[in-house]
Amino acid sequence: MSQITTQSPLTRAAKWFDPRFRTVNMLGFILNRITALGLTLYLFLHLSVLSQLAVGPGGYDKFISIIHNPLFTFGEVLVVTAGMMHGLNGARIVLNSLGVAIRIQKMLLIVLLSIAVVISFVFAVRMFLV
Amino acid sequence: MEKNLYGPKSGEGTWLWLAKIISGALVAVILFIHLVVNHLVAPNGLLSYAEIVKYYQNPIIPVMEILFVTLAVPHALIGLRGIILDLKPTRAILNGINWLFSVVGVIAIIYGVWLILTIASRGA
Repeated sequence: MSQITTQSPLTRAAKWFDPRFRTVNMLGFILNRITALGLTLYLFLHLSVLSQLAVGPGGYDKFISIIHNPLFTFGEVLVVTAGMMHGLNGARIVLNSLGVAIRIQKMLLIVLLSIAVVISFVFAVRMFLV
Repeated sequence: MEKNLYGPKSGEGTWLWLAKIISGALVAVILFIHLVVNHLVAPNGLLSYAEIVKYYQNPIIPVMEILFVTLAVPHALIGLRGIILDLKPTRAILNGINWLFSVVGVIAIIYGVWLILTIASRGA
């Protein structure tokens, strides 16, 4: 304990990103946090770019033609993946917080994240191969 | 005994935590519909301006989207605040964050509702 308190805040913050010695549950928690941050950033970006809709068809359709770019599509697939992971893991968290399915929480975490990956793959195929 | 990482934490209060999980559940449902329409059903994976205006003529859609923005923004901001709480901010900093997030949240929701109603009225 004293080792932790004598380290600098920067060292302690850096340890947040150390992936070793984590339990599966802790990895689930961290994943929820990371997807939350990504989705929050995306939410506010999304709200700002949608202002192009108010400009009218000229502004918005031009914007759509710009983002028909594989790089943007890949970014969108990441958003869908983050959304699916955060949502399904979040559902598990709510269940566990209400005392439901606590004994199978680890298995549920792995199953739900796998489902999220599969759904994201379906979206990715649809978004790239159109 | 492992600490409960997901329950209400000091500085959050049960009501805010409850608001976070209830809004989260509703956002998850609406988001799924939103993603299916905008990326799976949409012809090129993205809707054009005209398609969006047409989509918004069905009255249930603006209602759904207004509900979406009204739930997603508080969920994101309460969640962000929860992450900040783990950094153990001082009372003064937390009060500042509360004020900032409240203002940002209200502005974002008003803007979102305005945009939705503007687009819905374009097809009339």
